[in-house]
Amino acid sequence: MSNYAGAADTTAGAANPNMNASEIDSHQRAVSYTCGDCDQDVQLRRGEPIRCRNCGHRVLYKKRTNRMVQFEAR
Amino acid sequence: MAPSTDTTWSTDFDTVRRQKLFQSPPKDRTAYPRLAEAVEPHIESFNAIWEQGGQLHQALKDIGTKVFLDGDPYAPPEEPRNRLYIRIQDVFLDKPVLPPSNKFVLKDRRVLPSESRETHRTYKGKMTARIQWKINNGDWQEQVRDLGYVPIMLRSSRCHLEKMSPAQLANAKEETEEFGGYFIVNGIEKIIRMLSVTRRNYPLAIKRSAFTNRGPGFTPLGIIIRSVRPDGTSQTNALHYLNDGNINFRFSWRKAEYLVPVMMILSALVETSDIEIFQGIVGKASSEGLSERQFVIDRVELLLRTYKVYNLQSKARSRAYLGEKFKPVLQLPEDMSDEDAGSYFLRKVVLPHLGANNVTDREDTDKFRMLLFMIRKLYALVEGDAAIDNPDALQFQEALLGGQLYGMILKEKLEEWLNSLRFPLQEWGRKQTWKPFTSHQFQTDFVSRVLARATGEDIGKAMSYFLSTGNLVSPTGLDLSQTAGFTVVAEKLNFYRFISHFRMIHRGAFFAQLKTTTVRKLLPESWGFVCPIHTPDGAPCGLLNHLSHTCRIATRAVDASAIPRLVAGLGVSSQASALLENSMVVQLDGRVLGYCSPKQASRIHDTLRYWKVQGSPEKSVPRELELGLVPHSNGGTYPGLYMFSGASRFYRPVKYLPLQKLDYVGPFEQPYMSIACTDPEIVSGDSTHVEYEPTDILSIVANQTPFSNYNQSPRNMYQCQMGKQTMGTPGTALSYRTDNKTYRLQTGQTPIVRPPLHNEYGLDNFPQGTNAVVAVISYTGYDMDDAMILNKSAHERGFGYGSIYKTKICDLEEGRGGRSRKVQKLFGFSPIGTVKASWREKLDDDGLPRVGTMLQNGDYLAAWHTVSFDQGTGELENLDGQTNFFKYKDDELAFVEEVRVIGAENGLEPLQKLSIKLRIPRAAVIGDKFSSRHGQKGVASQKWPQVDLPFSESGIQPDVIINPHAFPSRMTIGMFIESMAGKAGALHGLAIDSTPFKFDEQSQTAVDFFGEQLKKAGYNYYGNEPLYSGITGTELSCDIFIGVVYYQRLRHMVNDKYQVRTTGPINSLTGQPIKGRKRGGGIRVGEMERDALLAHGTAFLLQDRLFNCSDYTKTTLCRSCGSFLSTTPTVNEFTRKKRGGLTVRCRRCAKLADNTAPKSDVWTDGQGIRRYGGDDIAVVAVPGVLKYLDTELAGMGIRLRYSVDR
Repeated sequence: MSNYAGAADTTAGAANPNMNASEIDSHQRAVSYTCGDCDQDVQLRRGEPIRCRNCGHRVLYKKRTNRMVQFEAR
Repeated sequence: MAPSTDTTWSTDFDTVRRQKLFQSPPKDRTAYPRLAEAVEPHIESFNAIWEQGGQLHQALKDIGTKVFLDGDPYAPPEEPRNRLYIRIQDVFLDKPVLPPSNKFVLKDRRVLPSESRETHRTYKGKMTARIQWKINNGDWQEQVRDLGYVPIMLRSSRCHLEKMSPAQLANAKEETEEFGGYFIVNGIEKIIRMLSVTRRNYPLAIKRSAFTNRGPGFTPLGIIIRSVRPDGTSQTNALHYLNDGNINFRFSWRKAEYLVPVMMILSALVETSDIEIFQGIVGKASSEGLSERQFVIDRVELLLRTYKVYNLQSKARSRAYLGEKFKPVLQLPEDMSDEDAGSYFLRKVVLPHLGANNVTDREDTDKFRMLLFMIRKLYALVEGDAAIDNPDALQFQEALLGGQLYGMILKEKLEEWLNSLRFPLQEWGRKQTWKPFTSHQFQTDFVSRVLARATGEDIGKAMSYFLSTGNLVSPTGLDLSQTAGFTVVAEKLNFYRFISHFRMIHRGAFFAQLKTTTVRKLLPESWGFVCPIHTPDGAPCGLLNHLSHTCRIATRAVDASAIPRLVAGLGVSSQASALLENSMVVQLDGRVLGYCSPKQASRIHDTLRYWKVQGSPEKSVPRELELGLVPHSNGGTYPGLYMFSGASRFYRPVKYLPLQKLDYVGPFEQPYMSIACTDPEIVSGDSTHVEYEPTDILSIVANQTPFSNYNQSPRNMYQCQMGKQTMGTPGTALSYRTDNKTYRLQTGQTPIVRPPLHNEYGLDNFPQGTNAVVAVISYTGYDMDDAMILNKSAHERGFGYGSIYKTKICDLEEGRGGRSRKVQKLFGFSPIGTVKASWREKLDDDGLPRVGTMLQNGDYLAAWHTVSFDQGTGELENLDGQTNFFKYKDDELAFVEEVRVIGAENGLEPLQKLSIKLRIPRAAVIGDKFSSRHGQKGVASQKWPQVDLPFSESGIQPDVIINPHAFPSRMTIGMFIESMAGKAGALHGLAIDSTPFKFDEQSQTAVDFFGEQLKKAGYNYYGNEPLYSGITGTELSCDIFIGVVYYQRLRHMVNDKYQVRTTGPINSLTGQPIKGRKRGGGIRVGEMERDALLAHGTAFLLQDRLFNCSDYTKTTLCRSCGSFLSTTPTVNEFTRKKRGGLTVRCRRCAKLADNTAPKSDVWTDGQGIRRYGGDDIAVVAVPGVLKYLDTELAGMGIRLRYSVDR
C-alpha cells in the first residue's frame, strides 16, 4: 500500500509543544462538519457543544478528507 | 390536483415508471399499498392502545380505584380507619420531541426516527398520567405525573411518520416505502413478534395427562377457556373432571393456581336453585331423550349433593365464602366486606370476558349460562359424545399482536405503580407515628413523600427494558407460557428478511423445548392462513411460521351488537334440550345466545353469512365476523354455531359464490366450509366459496420462488431460508442508517422471471440478485459436488460484487454510567502533549478518522484524552498530556465511509459519542456461497478465464457453470423452467410471469410455452445448445442446457469463516490451543476425528494433531521415583548462570548433604538447601495436560508413577 501523505497537513501534525503559538493554533483550529439536517457548514473547536449553529441539529457528518486518497490497485 | 399515484402493477419491468417514482417520490400516497398492508396488524394494534375507548382506557377501567388504609396495620382494630382512594384518570403519550433542556431549537422540535437511529438512541415519547386521589369521601384531588419516556412504534399514531407521503418520508431520511411497525431502542430496530395463543372466549375440550398431577381423583379431561377482558388481558379458566364425576374450577392468579368446586361459583354468580342447574346441564325437563341421559344425570346429582357439605344456600353466602377465602390473594383492603370481596373475585377471575367491570346481573347470568355450557361440554367429552379439541390446530388459535402485548405490559406497570404506593404510605405512617390520612401533615406530605417515592413510576424505563431484551418482568405472567424472547431485532440484511419479521408468528418458546413433534406439524386447518413452506428447517421448524400474504389479523373488535337481535329473530330457545343432536348452542364471543336444532342452526348460519357478505346496512352484520357452524357429528367436535367478532383473529379473503362477492373466512369456520381452490373445482350445491388465487396460501417470500409448483417441496423451503440470507439491497436510505453490520450487493438486477407480486410489493426497490447465464455441464471438474464455476470476466464486470458496512461506536461516556454527568474525556489529541506524525496518518485535526482512508488491523480510529474542569478558566483542560486511541481491531481491510459526530439531545455537551461507518469490500472470491432461487446452493470453486469457457453458436458464454448432478436427486424442475423462461424473456425483452400453478398438463405445459418462445427466437425448443470448447474450439459432443437464471449471493463468505493456525494462542492452564476463530484458535480434533485417524492408521498425523500442534511439552522426570513433580532445577551457589543450561535433580530422591557428601555431587535447590543424589533424571515429551492432571491428583493425595525405560 502506498499511502500518499498529504503535504498540507503534516506541518500541523508534528506540532512541537515548545512552539506555543503554533500549538494553540493547531488545537484550537476549527474543523468543519456538515449538518445532518440543513446541510450547512458547522465549524467546531475542541470541547465545543455539538449542534448546528443554524438549525440546532444534533448529528453532524465529518466531511470527506481533502487529502489525496490513493490506493494501489491489485 | 394531479392524478393520484397508480397502485396497480403487473409483471412488467416498468423501468420508466419506477425510475420516475424513484426520482420524484409521490406526494400523495405510496405506489405499493400491499407493503403497508403487510405490517398493518403491528401498527394498528399499537394504535388501538391509545385511541378513545381503546386498550388503555379499558385497562384503566379495569385497574379501577386502589384503596389504602391508614393506621398501624398491626394494631388491634378499634375505630374505623381512613381510606385513601387513588386512581389513574388518564394516560397521555406525546410524540417524540426534544427535551425542554434544549434551548437552541425553536422551530422544529421533533425528533425523527432517523435521528434516533443515527445517534443510537431510543425513539421515545414522554408519557404522563393524571392521577386522582381522595380521602374517605372528600373531594378528588389530581396531579399529572411524569412516567418517563416510552418507546414508540414507527408510523403509529404517536410517530411523526404516521401519515407521511413517500416524498415526505424521503425528506425525513427514511425509505420512501417505510412502513414502520417496529421500535428503535438504542439505535437498534426491534420488533415484537406475533405469538400464537389459544383462541379467546372459546371453551376447548382438552385431554392432558398432566391434569392428573393436580391431586387425587383428577382425570386428564378438562375444559379450558381463555377469557379475554376488554383491555386485552386474559384470564384462563379451566374445569377439571374428577373421577367421581365432580368438577373443579381452576384458575391462576399471580402465577399461583387455585381450585374451587364449580358449584360454588355457579351458586355465587346468580340466585339459583338445584333444579335450574340440573336443567341447565342435562336439558329441559320435558325434552325428549331425557331418559337416555342417565350418565349426565348421575353426575349432576353428585355435583349437587356434594356441594351440600358447604351449606351455602344463597348467592350472598356463597359470595361471602369465596370472598373470605380469596381476600388476601386478591390484595383487597382489610375492611372490605366478604360479600363484596366475593363479587370482586367473580368479576376479576370468573369468565371476565362476559363482564369485567361494573358487572350487572345480566352479565352474571351470562357467566352462569356459559359455565353451564362448559359443564355440558365437559360431560359430553367424558361420555364420548364430543371429541377433544386440538390446541395445536390453528382453528383454536389467534395472534397476540405486538401492540396488544405492549398495552398489556403497560397496564400491568401502571397497576404495579399504584400498588407500589403501599410501601411509601406505610413508611410515612411509621415515621409520623401513624397519623391519620385526614391529618394536615398527610396533605402536605402526600405528593413529596409518598407519590414521589413510589417505585415503578419510571414506566418508560420498564418498557425500554422489555423492548431491548424481550424479557417480560411481570408478577402475573400475563397468562403467557413464556417470559423471554418476545422481541427480536428486525434485521435489515435484505428486504425479504426484513419484511418476513413482520409476517412471522411464533408458537411460543415453551413449545420449542417439547420433545414431541406434534406442535410442529403442518395441519390442514392452517390452509390459507399460515404458509406451508415458509418455515425454517432445524430447531424452530414448524414453530416459527409465516402468514400467507393475504392473511390479515383483526386488530379491533368489529361491531356485532346487532347479532343477538338477529339471532333471536331467527329463532333460538334459551334452554338446551337433553339430546346433543337437538340442541346446538349459538354463541357470540363466548356468550351463549341460545340453543336450537341443527337445522335451525344451519339456517341461522346461512342467513347471517348471506347478510354479512351482502353488507346491507339495516342488518349490519360485519364482513369480518366469523361464523363457525360446527355440525353435529357422531363423536366429533362439540357442535354449535360459534360467532367471533373480537380482535386478534386471523381472516383471509375468499369469494362467496352466491353473491360473487368478497367474504372473509377465519380458521375456526374454515374446516366446516367448502371452499374450492380454483374455478373448475367448484362443486355445484356444495362449494360456497372459491379462492381468489391458488397462490394466496403462500407467504410473501414463498411467492417469489418462480414456478415453485414444479419443485420438490423441501427445495422451496430452502429457498425461503436462503432468500433471507442473500446479500441484497437492504434499503435506499443506507446513508442514514447505522446498523452494526449490513450487507449490500452492488450489482443487483431485477429478475427477468418473477411473479406480479414482485412488483406489487415493490421488490425492485431492493434487488437481491443477478440474472446469470447458466450452463448445466460438467466442464472441468471444478463444478463437482455443488460447486460452481464463475466466469472470471463476469466477475471482473461486477457479478456478485458486494460490500459489508460495519458501524463502530466510540463512546467516551461508556462506563461512566448515570452517576456523574461531568465530562471526563474529550476526543482529539491532548493539547499539551506531542502529536506524532504517524498518528496523523489516519486521523484528522480533531482526532477523528479522515473520511475515505483505508484502515487495517491496529490502525487508530479516534484519539481522546482525559480532561477536568478548570474553575479558573471555565474550560476543560487536559493535565497529563496523554493521548489515547480507539483502535480498529478487525482483521480485514476497511475504508472509512462516514463519520457521525453525535451531540447530546440538549445541545450543550461537547463531543462524547462517535459513530464510524466502515466499508469492507467483498468481491466474490473462491469459496463464497451462491444460490439460485430453487434451493440450489453452491460455492464458487474457480474463476475460470472467459477465453477458456465454452461458447455457443451465438457467442454467448456462461457466467456460471453448474453440474448436472445437482438435479436428479433434488428434482428442482422449476429451475429448468426458470432457465428456459429467463432465456426466452431475455431474447424477447419481456418480463416473464412465474406465478406457480399457471400451467397444467391439459392445456399447455410450461415447457411448451417457453419452448415455443425459444423456437420463435431461433433457439432450440428445449433450451439446449451446441457449445464449443473454449480450449480446443471443437463442438462438444452433446448439446448443453443453457439459459438465464437469477442468482443470489448468500452472505456466508469464506472471509468470515476461514480458520487456520499452526501455532497461536494457547490456554494458559492446559497449554492446549484455545477455541474460537476470532481469537486465532484452532479447530478441535474431537473423538470422532481421532477415531477416523486411528482407523486409517495415520499415526504420525494423529501424533501431529493431538500432540505436536497441541500441548507438546518437554519435561524432566525422575527415573527412580517416576515423578514429574519432584524434579527441580539446581541453583549454583557461586556463578549466577552456568553455560550449558540448568541441571535438574530430583528433590525426592536426593538426600540432605552433610559433610561426608562428596563436594562435586552436592547441589543446592531454590531455597538454598544443600543436597546430593537424585540425579537419575530423564527428559521426556508429554502432553501439557498430563502434568496438570498429575498436579491435580497430587492435590487429592494420589501419586502417579511413571516408569521410564531406556
